[in-house]
Amino acid sequence: MKLFVNARYLIVPISSLVTIYGIFAGGIYTWIGVFLFGTYTIIDTLTKNIHLRAEKDQNGDSFGIKEFQYVVMYFMLPVFILLQIVLAWRLFQFTSGVIIEPSVLSGINFQSGITLTNLVGATLSTALWAGLGIIYGHELSHNKKEGFFVSRLIMALSGASHFTYAHVYNHHLDLGHEDDPATAPRGRNVYTHTWLSHAGQSKFSYDLEQEKLANQGKSIFSFDNKWIVGYLYSLPSVFLFIWSGGALGLLALISVWSVSNFLLEALNFMGHYGLIRSPEKPVEHRHSWDNDNVFTSWFFIEIGRQGDHHVRGETYFWELDDVGAPNYGIGYFSLFVLTLIPSLFRRFVRTLLDDWDKNHATEQEVAIANKFKELGIRS
Amino acid sequence: MLNFFRKNKEQVAEINTDTEPVILTVEKGKTLLNAALRSGIGWPHKCKVGSCGTCKCLILSGQIKPQIDFSYVLSPKDIADGYVLACQSELKSDIKVDVKLIKKLGDKK
Repeated sequence: MKLFVNARYLIVPISSLVTIYGIFAGGIYTWIGVFLFGTYTIIDTLTKNIHLRAEKDQNGDSFGIKEFQYVVMYFMLPVFILLQIVLAWRLFQFTSGVIIEPSVLSGINFQSGITLTNLVGATLSTALWAGLGIIYGHELSHNKKEGFFVSRLIMALSGASHFTYAHVYNHHLDLGHEDDPATAPRGRNVYTHTWLSHAGQSKFSYDLEQEKLANQGKSIFSFDNKWIVGYLYSLPSVFLFIWSGGALGLLALISVWSVSNFLLEALNFMGHYGLIRSPEKPVEHRHSWDNDNVFTSWFFIEIGRQGDHHVRGETYFWELDDVGAPNYGIGYFSLFVLTLIPSLFRRFVRTLLDDWDKNHATEQEVAIANKFKELGIRS
Repeated sequence: MLNFFRKNKEQVAEINTDTEPVILTVEKGKTLLNAALRSGIGWPHKCKVGSCGTCKCLILSGQIKPQIDFSYVLSPKDIADGYVLACQSELKSDIKVDVKLIKKLGDKK
């Protein structure tokens, strides 16, 4: 049981390595990251009704092995760096006009050179799996030792190093309130939310540093400014892509960052859409949506157990459990597809929000929900 | 010799020594707040991730190991006076600490 509980969280690490190999192998294999993402969407939908509780031994302790899980999470930093390097190498081959032909490197067959179509596949594969790196950036943001720094570096690979501070000091504190840019209010679609949440969290992180440095009597133009330093961490990616592909390389990096940040904000969007918290009330289970079908739980290292996570923010992911939080009833992959069509998502979530208003919300929270309804926004 | 072994495994926090003292054992790697809550001590808290400041307490003696930079939540004066966030503090030595508890182990309410 112990081996199984720990090994089941390896879906993303293994899939990321397969994606890297696919881009290296070239040809049609550059699309393998996209293919895996699509396949997992189908598996997630097929397993939507299977929900498991967190397994514990006779003493009530989790089967999770902290040392193993942390090694895996730290290992993902070089994996995501390698993902960018292999895409940059393909960009270099394309812009250099390398002839498309079979080649061998250290006994490994690959196709040298790349077509524009397969370069698009490589870029999309990289973007999707770089975006999934956020699940490690998120988990490690709650580790205040060296893990916090690794989280910053992982997020910097997507140009979003500000997330680590904003998530802890803003999202966890102001969840469900208008002061939290990562909470999507009723009526907003995922596309608008991506821009507003990203910009809002970055602004929060800037303001946080400005206040801290003012208290310390330091200039905001300082290496003590974590907002600035965070963006500096992203510069190696910028240099790598411009060096390898010029303007096309920059376009590819912008594409990778756009998709990966869209996935990040889609997770924020789904995690708390339309839920409301009176500012004077503490964060409770009812202020998050759970997505805990079996595939989502294992793939997203339990990030879908948002209800428990936001009340016990210090808890390792493998210890999180079903706490009776509001539940979408489907996994993140399936729900993500719905969010791409805003009208469909709002229809899906309407009955869930009506139920939340009736059975979970306080009087003050219902009053706020009613203000949305007066504006014609039911979901 | 015994003290040598104990030192690596756990430290002791004496809470509110001037009024109603409570003795708390804090295991290595656990935070002051977590140890207090596990022992049924009503330590004020809210977010448990170091962002709200509700678990703020005053270290009177001894040393803690901060897990984060407290300057995002505590003022420079608070930090200079010895205030820390219990949810982000491990113990480096036995300590004496002041905090306004909500309730104590054994209290009826």
